[in-house]
Amino acid sequence: MASSSHGSNYDIPWVEKYRPSKVADIVGNPDAVSRLQVIARDGNMPNLILAGPPGTGKTTSILALAHELLGPNSKEAVLELNASDDRGIDVVRNKIKMFAQKKVTLPPGQHKIVILDEADSMTSGAQQALRRTMEIYSNSTRFALACNTSSKIIEPIQSRCAIVRFSRLSDQEILGRLMVVVGAEQVPYVPEGLEAIIFTADGDMRQALNNLQATYSGFHFVNQENVFKVCDQPHPLHVKNMVRQVLEGKFDEACSGLKHLYDLGYSPTDIITTLFRIIKNYDMAEYLKLEFMKETGFAHMRICDGVGSYLQLCGLLAKFALARDTARAA
Amino acid sequence: MILSSDEEDDCDYKPNLHRSYTKKPKSRPFITRTNPRQPKKPRVSGSRSRSSRDSPSLFEVGFPEEDFEELFSGSKVSAGTPWLWFSVRRLLLSSILARVGSGTSNLNELWVDKYKPHSLEELAVHKKKVEEVKSWFEERLKTTKGNLINNVVVINGKAGVGKSTTVHVIASHFGARLCEWNTPTPTIWQEHVHNTNTGIQYTSKLDEFVNFIEKIRKYGLIPSSSFEDAKPSIILLIDDLPMTNGRVAFERLQSCLLHLVRSTQLPTAILVSDYDETDSTDHTAQRLEQLRLSLENAGACKVSFNPITINSIKKTLSRICRQEKCSVTDEQLDLIAKACGGDIRHAITSLQLFCVKPDLVLNGSFSTPSYSYGKEDDIDALVRGISLLFGRDETLSLFHALGKFLHNKRETEVANAITPGDAFLVRDNFSRLSLKMDAPEKILCQAHGQARPVTDFLHENVLDFISDEAMDDAWHVSSYLSDSDLLLSSFRGMLARYNEAENVLQSAAASVAVRGVLYGNSHPSPPRWHAIRKPKLWQVEKSMLHKQKEIVRQRFIAYNGSSSSNVSDVATEYMPVLKWLECRASGFEDNQALVYCNKTHDESCNRMSLDDRESDDDEIEEW
Repeated sequence: MASSSHGSNYDIPWVEKYRPSKVADIVGNPDAVSRLQVIARDGNMPNLILAGPPGTGKTTSILALAHELLGPNSKEAVLELNASDDRGIDVVRNKIKMFAQKKVTLPPGQHKIVILDEADSMTSGAQQALRRTMEIYSNSTRFALACNTSSKIIEPIQSRCAIVRFSRLSDQEILGRLMVVVGAEQVPYVPEGLEAIIFTADGDMRQALNNLQATYSGFHFVNQENVFKVCDQPHPLHVKNMVRQVLEGKFDEACSGLKHLYDLGYSPTDIITTLFRIIKNYDMAEYLKLEFMKETGFAHMRICDGVGSYLQLCGLLAKFALARDTARAA
Repeated sequence: MILSSDEEDDCDYKPNLHRSYTKKPKSRPFITRTNPRQPKKPRVSGSRSRSSRDSPSLFEVGFPEEDFEELFSGSKVSAGTPWLWFSVRRLLLSSILARVGSGTSNLNELWVDKYKPHSLEELAVHKKKVEEVKSWFEERLKTTKGNLINNVVVINGKAGVGKSTTVHVIASHFGARLCEWNTPTPTIWQEHVHNTNTGIQYTSKLDEFVNFIEKIRKYGLIPSSSFEDAKPSIILLIDDLPMTNGRVAFERLQSCLLHLVRSTQLPTAILVSDYDETDSTDHTAQRLEQLRLSLENAGACKVSFNPITINSIKKTLSRICRQEKCSVTDEQLDLIAKACGGDIRHAITSLQLFCVKPDLVLNGSFSTPSYSYGKEDDIDALVRGISLLFGRDETLSLFHALGKFLHNKRETEVANAITPGDAFLVRDNFSRLSLKMDAPEKILCQAHGQARPVTDFLHENVLDFISDEAMDDAWHVSSYLSDSDLLLSSFRGMLARYNEAENVLQSAAASVAVRGVLYGNSHPSPPRWHAIRKPKLWQVEKSMLHKQKEIVRQRFIAYNGSSSSNVSDVATEYMPVLKWLECRASGFEDNQALVYCNKTHDESCNRMSLDDRESDDDEIEEW
């Protein structure tokens, strides 16, 4: 341990430690967040559904909103249920209903809040049971549902809620937050290391922070090398080199690069997932990009079918080379 | 009077106690079962525009605001009855006190409640439908009891099209009282233990519902007082059918409702929400449909409500805007109205969220003042901003993205700045001008597009956008689309499960489809307006499934749910025989014909019946 400063907080994941407690601190999705901010100030929250991919701040926004809105009352006036709690019909009817009936003295404009995290994993029966409760108690209790796909919420509930969609965070947004954490924890780093973390996170803030912490506690230094060791992904630079070599016509070198990766023990699925992401962001001719993506997709399908051999990966490179030769100007 | 249901935990029914506030669970209304004289099950909530002159036996606690009446519906005092029931809810009382204290109730309310229509004119539902329901009720309420055979109307429609609101408004229009079935609170385990100790039997909620219906059916609503002269007419509203689990329970519910339809004396409205086809795996939707059909067969009148038109939603929204004094442009209202997919409740909720004006981003993409009409980018940003934020209808943002892909806008000149260093020169026929848009993947992600619908939509519409002579382009595009279809093949039937970015296969398929269209369409037809059509790609499969369900259902009803056999048997033997008989027996009375053909069918398929029995056992879980 470099210092004892983090001794007391050592066991708290950074994801929790640096979870924003104010709506204003939430990163990304400025439109949605600014609205929530006003609601936090003015009260009278409508029933909400927050939908979006994981790690974009849905749960954090609701929790922060609830705390900001209710202040000291938030212990009493917030009921939080997530997928790990039992949420059958009975729980929905009993717990939520009893909570809705509970008397909490609140200033005007404020309501008790029921937070249902991962609401898309609730059975439709349980959601049906929720529907009526929502209506009857709307003058004292409001609902906030977080889910990944809003279409898995039954229509009567969608109809009763305003839907707020969250989208993936951009790399800059994640970087900004990482810098804050890095500064507060005094993590030694090089910029390439953070870049690597952002690459592995793929727009997921939670993943980024977890990777950062894992790298730090494993190696006490964040550079590219360590990040990919910890996250156990094929180094994107290697994969990028492979693609470049294919494009340059150096097929043998590309193959040996692949062999090297394979010998390091990465599974074909890992390699191909990274490969796909590299191709997606690689700057190349439109036709080539399209063909490469298509072939990667097919190879991935074969691998998913169980043919996860080195041969398939080599074949994929060969197909890339073929596509390149077809397209190359004479 | 108050016939209060077991709605609240602290409701209490002690006939001689005025205000007993005990929270002992044993005072829950299961007691009523021990005393058959007390018809306590239903909770009558007074329709809200009724004033005390309609019912001299009632006095209502007068509060200035109308919604208080609703709150107090649970706490009306019935004078002159042997039973005085107070069911003042702590919660309601406290919230009322809070309101009186604060003096303003506006802040507290959802706009959906605040702007609930109070008159027939305010309803956004189509006039014809309202008139239909209204005249139906009028007929029932005017004529003396017992003259009419069917006293039940089944109203169906999607969520949020104003089914219950219509009934409420009509009831208040006629000054009728609305008696509503509200689902009771389920029994908690501790309570159950306590009850068994005190010797009270557990009754399921379905039992309670059935009992309630039975009582209504047999005795009507027992009037609370002896002053009969000014008795208001009563409308029974069943909004929330109890959940049923398994076939037996469902059949009980069904038969109970059938009895109600056949013999009730009160005008009754049963509301059934429709669901989209998407959750066809879900048995509840299927069952509700079945229930609705069998109720209709039993003679219930059927009214289906359509989604509310964009214009009437817009009218309502702009009315609300005027009253709330918030400035929303016409375009924005239009977008909100379009995005809600005919669901007015959702539209109002969205509007409420939209009117939360974020001061911080006033200069942001969709601030009203800086909005100018001419620039396309501004409109783009506006559309995207709103459709990302709001809207049940996910396809709106999807349409936008699709439009971009299909129109395929490109730079007009070769950008010379293609880095000559590692330039990889592509043959002329493979090269394309650079795209005038973000990376397709980014657009897809912003549009929350899923691979399958994107592919289907592109497939359906792309030919319109390819110039008529460009045959080669068409084959390029089709071959890429078929590739992407192959990539998606393992996901068929699990459309909404994965998020678009989670899975390499999904995103590869989406990229191939989109980029294939972009690349392949090298000779786009001159830009003109095209409507984007819904995909017809899987129509055959869908309609086949639908037909199958239909057949099974018909058979199911003909046999009162007793058997269901192989679909192909039904299609090849049962249906033709039935048709043939219909032709022959056209002279008979309907009833006879039906009986007759049922009989013949029984004889004709004795052979099958053995199979039926067997399959019956197997399929119990199915239904």
